[in-house]
Amino acid sequence: MINICREVTRRHFFRDCGVGLGKLALAGLLTDAFGSSAAAKSSTDSPLAPKQPHFPGRAKRVIHLFMAGAPSQLEMFDNKPELKRLAGKPLPPSVIGGQRYAFIRADAAVLGPQYEFARHGQSEGELSEMLPHLAQVIDDVCILRSVHTDQFNHAPAQIFFNTGFAQPGRPSLGSWVLYGLGAEAQDLPAFVVMSTGSGISGGAALWSSGFLPTLYTGVRFRNQGDPILNVTSPSGFDARLERDSLDLIGRLNQRQLAVEGDPEIATRIASYEMAFRLQTSAPELMDLSGETQETLDLYGCQPDKPTFARACLLARRMLERGVRFINIYHEGWDAHSDVAGNVKRNCAATDQASAALVADLKQRGMLDDTLVIWGGEFGRTPMVETNPALGRSLGRDHHPQAFSMWLAGGGIRPGMTYGATDELGFHVAEQPVHVHDVQATILDCLGFDHERLTYRHAGRDFRLTDVHGHVVRDILA
Amino acid sequence: MTGAPRLPSGSRSRLLRIRSWLPLVWISTFSLSVSAVTAWADTGPDFNRDVRPILSQHCFKCHGPDDAARQSGLRLDLRERAVAAADSGLAAIVPGNTDQSELVRRISSKDESEMMPPPEAKRPLTDEQRDILQRWVAAGADYRPHWAFVPPRQAPLPAVELRDWARSPIDTFILARLDAEGLSPSRPADRATLIRRVSLDVVGLPPTPEEVDQFVADDSEDAYERLVDRLLASPHYGERWARRWLDLARYADTNGYEKDRPRSIWPYRDWVINALNAGMAFDQFTVEQLAGDLLPGATLEQRIATGFHRNTMLNEEGGIDPLEFRFHAMTDRVATTGTVWLGLTIGCAQCHSHKFDPVSHREYYQLMALLNNADEPELALPQPTLDEQHRRNVEQAQRLLVELPDEFPVEADGESTPDEQRRAELDRRWSEWLAQQRSAAVEWTPVRPVEATSNLPLLTVQPDDSVFASGDFTKHDTYQLRFATEVRGITALRLEALPDPRLPADGPGMTYYEGTKGDFFLGEFQLSDGERPLKIARASSSYAKNRFGSDPVSAELTIDGDPQTGWSVDGRTGERHTAVYVLESPSSGEGELHLIMMFGRHFASSLGRFRISVTTDPRAGQALDLPEEADRWLLLPDEQLPEEAREQLRRTFLLNMPELAEPAKHIRELLKPPAHPTTLVMQERPPENPRPTYRHHRGEFLQPREQVEPGVPAFLPVLPSDEAANRLSFARWLVSEENPLTARVTANRQWAAFFGRGLVATVGDFGYQGDPPSHPELLDWLAVEFMHHGWSLKWLHRQIVLSATYRQSSRVTQTLAERDPENRLLARGPRVRLEAELIRDSTLLSSGLLSHKIGGPSVFPPQPANVTTEGTYGALSWTSSPGEDRYRRSLYTFSKRTAPFAMYTTFDGPTGEECVARRDVSNTPLQALTLLNDVVFVEAAQALGAEFARRSESVEDRIAFLFRRVLVRSAEPEEIEALAAFYQDQRARFETGELDAKAVAGGGDGDATEQAAWTVVARILLNLDEAITKN
Repeated sequence: MINICREVTRRHFFRDCGVGLGKLALAGLLTDAFGSSAAAKSSTDSPLAPKQPHFPGRAKRVIHLFMAGAPSQLEMFDNKPELKRLAGKPLPPSVIGGQRYAFIRADAAVLGPQYEFARHGQSEGELSEMLPHLAQVIDDVCILRSVHTDQFNHAPAQIFFNTGFAQPGRPSLGSWVLYGLGAEAQDLPAFVVMSTGSGISGGAALWSSGFLPTLYTGVRFRNQGDPILNVTSPSGFDARLERDSLDLIGRLNQRQLAVEGDPEIATRIASYEMAFRLQTSAPELMDLSGETQETLDLYGCQPDKPTFARACLLARRMLERGVRFINIYHEGWDAHSDVAGNVKRNCAATDQASAALVADLKQRGMLDDTLVIWGGEFGRTPMVETNPALGRSLGRDHHPQAFSMWLAGGGIRPGMTYGATDELGFHVAEQPVHVHDVQATILDCLGFDHERLTYRHAGRDFRLTDVHGHVVRDILA
Repeated sequence: MTGAPRLPSGSRSRLLRIRSWLPLVWISTFSLSVSAVTAWADTGPDFNRDVRPILSQHCFKCHGPDDAARQSGLRLDLRERAVAAADSGLAAIVPGNTDQSELVRRISSKDESEMMPPPEAKRPLTDEQRDILQRWVAAGADYRPHWAFVPPRQAPLPAVELRDWARSPIDTFILARLDAEGLSPSRPADRATLIRRVSLDVVGLPPTPEEVDQFVADDSEDAYERLVDRLLASPHYGERWARRWLDLARYADTNGYEKDRPRSIWPYRDWVINALNAGMAFDQFTVEQLAGDLLPGATLEQRIATGFHRNTMLNEEGGIDPLEFRFHAMTDRVATTGTVWLGLTIGCAQCHSHKFDPVSHREYYQLMALLNNADEPELALPQPTLDEQHRRNVEQAQRLLVELPDEFPVEADGESTPDEQRRAELDRRWSEWLAQQRSAAVEWTPVRPVEATSNLPLLTVQPDDSVFASGDFTKHDTYQLRFATEVRGITALRLEALPDPRLPADGPGMTYYEGTKGDFFLGEFQLSDGERPLKIARASSSYAKNRFGSDPVSAELTIDGDPQTGWSVDGRTGERHTAVYVLESPSSGEGELHLIMMFGRHFASSLGRFRISVTTDPRAGQALDLPEEADRWLLLPDEQLPEEAREQLRRTFLLNMPELAEPAKHIRELLKPPAHPTTLVMQERPPENPRPTYRHHRGEFLQPREQVEPGVPAFLPVLPSDEAANRLSFARWLVSEENPLTARVTANRQWAAFFGRGLVATVGDFGYQGDPPSHPELLDWLAVEFMHHGWSLKWLHRQIVLSATYRQSSRVTQTLAERDPENRLLARGPRVRLEAELIRDSTLLSSGLLSHKIGGPSVFPPQPANVTTEGTYGALSWTSSPGEDRYRRSLYTFSKRTAPFAMYTTFDGPTGEECVARRDVSNTPLQALTLLNDVVFVEAAQALGAEFARRSESVEDRIAFLFRRVLVRSAEPEEIEALAAFYQDQRARFETGELDAKAVAGGGDGDATEQAAWTVVARILLNLDEAITKN
């Protein structure tokens, strides 16, 4: 005789659930309700519940402005007058070493800097004339001029910067941060990805959760159509129909929960409520009519144009609503030809808004616990790229040995320039910062020992920095 | 914050949370009893169960199999080394003597300079772990081989209490464990639930109400068995199980990385479907996919099967090093092979010896060597219908050619008829043309190289004196050829770029990524007599076109000293092209002629086949765009020119007349050879050009060290000594009965497909770090029986679904929620959210939209167009497929790696960028938005709306039937009542025009109000948790 265990009592579901879930007090649950995941089940807490890092971090959230395509540091951050003198001559082979190039030959001639540089602010940070807005906030940012990477092709280098590994499959920085810190947002995704400019080489691998639970994946906010896919109800559905529908779905699911006893059903019910709230919170977020003209002007944002400036302003609004990690990709820096024009064009699209973000966060008292990161996947060669068959001239090729980026807020020492390249801008000469070091430093700002933020996968504890990375203590405030 | 702990302590807080706001659910705060789930009978520390996991996690990194990482000469993974003296002279373990065992002293030490593991390792032991190690040493430090590395053996069936419950040995093993835990199985699932479960599992589709009725009404004893057999015989079985295999195969329809261009490898996907439907034995299934091309008399199908390892990504980004990304594809192949067949994380040994499992750095590359000796061509598949069409096209072209002269435009001159005028003009122009060609035609003598070498590609001289290039190509190849010609006074050389079916797109170049397939880019063409350069005065080409940029290409640019400029033939690959190089002064004719050809631009673009000829004729100069035979014809005096040749030449003349360009273009199109579907395959290298494999220091492409020979890890059985060590012998070795892993790993993966988790939860890791099996004897029984039943997957699937274990109700009782929330003990049936594809397929089926067409090129069901364009470098304009392709089963959806189909991503589908042995199962608001608003689900609701609006039964009856269509089971009265009330409410709103019925109904010719009202009801059902859950 089989001993059938006692089953969950079926109650009449109208009696208990007739009120409709929307009226239930859900506020405290919504964070957790952004999802559940089988892979995350065995952790001791809900996968998105707020968590404490290893030690108190200065930064609570991150905006990563990823300049995809690789900006030319030699036209923006790293002034190399020596290149002017050498312009037109090849570099000695001893400098080149065995470096492989994407397009140019190693004996390509030197191209002098295309723009003038000047020092700004109390910190006397040196920037080119292409960055007049960044110059205004130079005392709030830390410029790294000695970053280097392992990769010299876009997709692998972008994937490497964002996941610590050059092939797809590892979790992205944003996913690690979510895994470590959980979510704060009550009614928005915790990890948001936006993009402007042309297409991104690394693709969805850049915001993938890799082997972490999939709910740590970045959620795209799109420029066309629905900001979040399917956030808009189908044609003809009004608010009441949606509310009625969700109530009924909730009630029928409740009933099923009573019958089956599977907690996944409870999570599903909460997911639908969260979805309902997203349908309001996403349009509310995108609606910039509440922003003052002064703010719009600060960013250079026209509310109806999906520009980088608008993405930056949206990012600030997301931060205010508790979004943990925001990626804004701006692709278009791949200056194989006409580097001067490329830098001019892209700085016009990004300089004002990037600087505005720093200024705006500061004036709102949010810069202290928000880490802003600005940079691309590698640098550009001191040598010129010219290729008649491809119709290219006065460009620069990919350069992994040295490039520049900047950080601000969130525990980073303001008004600092760190590291230096040799007089040719070819190699790092002082204080090298490897991409893994940048990653370790970002995690440190957030309160994590990068060696201990690990996840067991395929029999081993993986981390963002693989087996490398040193926190760059010198740039911490 | 280390990763997921292996013990199921997880769900507690979530359960608590739910209790706090859901009045219907009572959940105990009872803390989970860990030991209840994991412990066997307690007989002191068991090496495999208790000790090895500690050593593996805390010690092996520095005292394990990796020679390079080993500290202090101490190795703890082998007993003889652990008990021997280490560098210090002390033995870590003195069996039975904890006082003298350095290990015990060091793990107990409080001194930071002595304690083990050292503080900086950040892997401290717990008191419990210390205790286990001490007791183990005290008990004699017994080592046992790792369970998974010993061949599976069938244990005798255990005695169980409820003998009648067990339908098969599966049940006996499950029951024995339940007995030990004091648990009982659940009662059987009801019939509707069972048929839905087994249908979803076996064919990936829910049953129709008719199928349910039939099954419920069938009270014969073998009703379920016959149902199972019917499902196993269904052609949809292959579709269901192919999708799971494609996760492992990392199948996708694009190349990945930046460009992420489309590729054609769907014939491989169809091969998997067909093989599974045909019940191909898993050993054969393995051998054909890994080494089908090496089988004697390999069939076309067996070659298609080798697409398994062609599903690796291909980087087409401008400027990459193609061999670097080939290396990455190889590391993917090694890691994938390890995961899929061996259940080992072999990929961990790419950079250094495995930290935990006994796979050395060198052995990793020996495994790579087994897989590394293949070329990677595209295989064109015969398609008789295309050939037939081509034959008809040629016929039509020939008719048009006959009529072509009539198209020649003439202006009336008032003297002769237009026909006469036309004929006269054409004859005049024809004579002129022929004379011109003849004046340029010279006699070319092919010269045979006495030496043909290059930086890397293998150059082999063919019987017709042409040179064929094969093997690996770089971005910048240089060919060096030496000729010992007896021709004196050479005035010019001719380079013929020749098509060849062995080349990409038939050549003549070997460009296979980034550029146009089959194109080449010749940068420099340099001649010398062995000592002095021979100056080339001028060059011409029969045809030239650039692929990138607007600047010209030509043979002239191959003698300008700039290798960045040159000659290519974009737009006319697959054809013969020529370039003529005229010497500044005739060669003195001392016999030696040295030629250097430099190829390449930002991608590999060398010539695949070419021939050099010489002439002494001073008239040589212009390269002619004529068929090869014309060489000979044009040298003949007019009276000796055969009529057929004359006709051919005249056709060429006509097709090249500017006045006839329009009709000629049409004719050329018709004459184009048919574009057969292609697929990516492996082709073993010829014996004369094997590819060496090296150990790569730190796993880096740029750091090859010593060459390694093919081989397998020493802890596993050896490869047969009487066969060549290659992909074929390796594939057979993988599925030999001596291999302890493959059958276990495969059986476990099948088990996981049905129950949501494997008997070994880490389905891709059976090594030391993997989870121990929850039911080791059952796993071994399955593995052994699987092999004894001819590695038949259908047999295995049948055994599992016929078990009483599988047929249990999946309800989560209070006891089970507390004791075993993850259902590891299987005291209930499986309850798992459906995979992405099953959710979409189920919805399409229940709404009547699903197409049952099997196989063929991938399709583009509707999704927002910007999913594959916005922010995507390799943007793909997603144009929804017309007709039934809009509603094909989901495994036929075009799979783009960098921007996957949105709905699948939302429901945890893979990207195809790497092998996925186990998908995550998440539960998120984005999923809710998808089910509520995504176009496919809206269309499904509208289709049901239109259908149910047409029906004439009462509202309640219609709801009851609609419920069954979507959820299979019958609705309870209160469910019908709730849905009916909703229907009435919304219908009233549609009727009054408060809601736009037409918009909601989405078209159709029925009553819009009715359609809309049923649409919103159907949408409710499609959104229920139950609709997307296997219950």
